[in-house]
Amino acid sequence: MAGVHKLTTGLTGLAVAKHPHQTLRALYSKILSNLQKMPASAGYRKHTEQIINQRLGLVKAEAEVIKLEEKINCGQIEEVIKQAERELRLSRKMLEWKPWEPLIGQAPPNQWKWPLA
Amino acid sequence: MASRICRLIRPVTTTFARKNGLNTLSGLQQNQNFLKRQSSTTGTTKQPTVATRNPLIRKSLTDFGAYVAECLPKYVQKVHVLFHDELEIMIHPDGIVPVLFFLKEHTNAQFMNIVDIAGVDKPTLENRFEIVYMLQSLQFNSRIRIKTYTDELTPIESACSVFPGANWYEREIWDMFGVFFANHPDLRRILTDYGFEGHPFRKDFPLSGYVEVRYDDEVKRVVVEPLELTQEFRKFEANTPWETFPAHRLSEGNEKPTAKPEEKK
Repeated sequence: MAGVHKLTTGLTGLAVAKHPHQTLRALYSKILSNLQKMPASAGYRKHTEQIINQRLGLVKAEAEVIKLEEKINCGQIEEVIKQAERELRLSRKMLEWKPWEPLIGQAPPNQWKWPLA
Repeated sequence: MASRICRLIRPVTTTFARKNGLNTLSGLQQNQNFLKRQSSTTGTTKQPTVATRNPLIRKSLTDFGAYVAECLPKYVQKVHVLFHDELEIMIHPDGIVPVLFFLKEHTNAQFMNIVDIAGVDKPTLENRFEIVYMLQSLQFNSRIRIKTYTDELTPIESACSVFPGANWYEREIWDMFGVFFANHPDLRRILTDYGFEGHPFRKDFPLSGYVEVRYDDEVKRVVVEPLELTQEFRKFEANTPWETFPAHRLSEGNEKPTAKPEEKK
């Protein structure tokens, strides 16, 4: 690693990441392994795999942090790390909730009708 | 210099995302820039001040609604984009925490901010209370509304585990409508006075209330007494003689099937 690439993120409470590539790669591999436990047809798995694989590809391809930030185009690299952490937490919860199952219950008739004539 | 590079690279990344079939909110930022540019060029011409409609924003909201419905088919009952480009997602009451958590933590959503929770009382329905969650995403400069329903007795799962800021909003709903939130850390009244009884925002709560409060000079304190009206209570005919929603007129043979089970895409 080339060391610290900037002095500050300019965001309160968000410290500059020392090894962003390493951190991101670890987080992404954890997310992907969680996603593989879901059924292949699950919408959440498909979409999230797409995002994560795209970002992982960029992380692998681009060594320079500033350029990587521009390529990912979702804030600074520290924010991208935060997003990955959140996605990891979500993927763990999703395994519990199993949201790919069919709808648990229809709304009673007229519930979403407006105006009620 | 950096901003110039940013401007060069942004279109590239968005076309990349589009090629990959990612229907996300990230296109929204460009759309809003488009809107700004459009309004600045038409600044000199005289036009009535009506909200301009942007088909691009509408498209990305519709796409995002379909995206949420595809990711969470277990909970989403209906997705709807309103006339003024507001996205509404109607969900089953059991799915409150999963849906809110998904919208908060997912990379393509990032609705980190809870703006408000509102309640609606529709006394004629089987589930008379509607709970509306309003979220905002700072990353994508976008808002969303989640709707669910409950009745007087069924508790609804508290959103405090996802958004700590939901604490007071839920207390407000509990105070005003009497909807019970399960697993709320501190469910108490928040707006009404000490010793108040009833839930004032329910449609069957009388406008005048049940008690009146006044200062009594003899006992030297504020006393609460049952309400005494100078005139006997009258029940007014609240229906207007005018037709308020001609577009939604229900006449015989004109009835459309209601409550579409599948989400609109």
